[in-house]
Amino acid sequence: MLFFSFFKTLVDHEVTVELKNEISLRGTLKSVDQYLNIKLDDVSVVEDVRWPHLSSTRNMFIRGSVVRYVHLPAAAVDTALLEDATRREAASAAAKAKQG
Amino acid sequence: MDMNDPQPSAPNLSLGSLPPHLLVGHALGGTQVPQLPPQMFITAAQLMDITDKKIMAILRDNQKILGVLRSWDQFGNVLMTDCVERIDATGIYAEIPRGVYIIRGENISMLCEIDLDKEDTPPPGLTLAPVEEVYALMKKEKAERKVKQAKKEKALANLGFVPEYNVEI
Amino acid sequence: MADIDDGPSTSVSEPLDLVRLCLDEVVFVKLRGDRELKGRLHAYDSHCNMVLGDVEETIYITEEDEEEQEITRTVKKQSEMLFVRGDSVVLISPQAPS
Repeated sequence: MLFFSFFKTLVDHEVTVELKNEISLRGTLKSVDQYLNIKLDDVSVVEDVRWPHLSSTRNMFIRGSVVRYVHLPAAAVDTALLEDATRREAASAAAKAKQG
Repeated sequence: MDMNDPQPSAPNLSLGSLPPHLLVGHALGGTQVPQLPPQMFITAAQLMDITDKKIMAILRDNQKILGVLRSWDQFGNVLMTDCVERIDATGIYAEIPRGVYIIRGENISMLCEIDLDKEDTPPPGLTLAPVEEVYALMKKEKAERKVKQAKKEKALANLGFVPEYNVEI
Repeated sequence: MADIDDGPSTSVSEPLDLVRLCLDEVVFVKLRGDRELKGRLHAYDSHCNMVLGDVEETIYITEEDEEEQEITRTVKKQSEMLFVRGDSVVLISPQAPS
């Protein structure tokens, strides 16, 4: 849930999604779901010479499992808040594990 | 999250048509972002946007299937009609009409909405060629790539690296 | 390994707890696909999805030169903030900033 919430805060920011098959897509993050599938609008393909078949596409739904990285604008991220949220998430995961 | 329910009660799940008076919330980034209602952030909402549109499905093995997205489910399995498989090799490509496809979601890399203004222009750098010719060249190039890839993997394995396991480059 | 129970947030009992101790520290991450990352760890979860800041990516490439010899070279890339999907992660290690 942590990264789902994190990506929700990045809607409408410009990001670059790098996929495991080496395709890099720069576009506006429009939506994300619990599986971290990504909806990217107004996409421009980095190194588009390698992928000519993407020349006529603008908006994409990217399956979460094929994402390698998402390059983010550092200004859009509050690292202290993120670290706090991570600690809380780790604590709640540990508490759940203890119960089970 | 119950994906088995028929469409949630929100009349319009399209991301592009939200009323402007949304709640503004504080994000993990500290910036104020319009907070979309929670039903925007499910797989259904994302796929609703491109349903009944012409799309190109790019699969994990780099197959390209162009067609109209008609239906989908909570696993991201999709049903497409009027499908055309596009095969390509260096400098040439061909299109094979395929009809109706049901594609298992786990095999999908991307679903790309095709810009209707640009859909008739051929991909830059590629020319249409007979299917048999493209198929033969594609097979040959694929085999060559496989040999090269195996060599690379072996060399990098010696350095302690492992390859990606679920996609083809 | 026995629980060192200093309190809920500082006991170390499972491997991911060691990662928690690296928050806001520079870590070295080895990935599938012949890649390594070095950056400041800002977030992670149980899948090893991570957000790293100020990160340097090293990609290892093997090529054949003129004499058919295998040579390995590296390509380095910088990124100010990077989300890394956990299924690529092989290992995470604390690192002194270089």
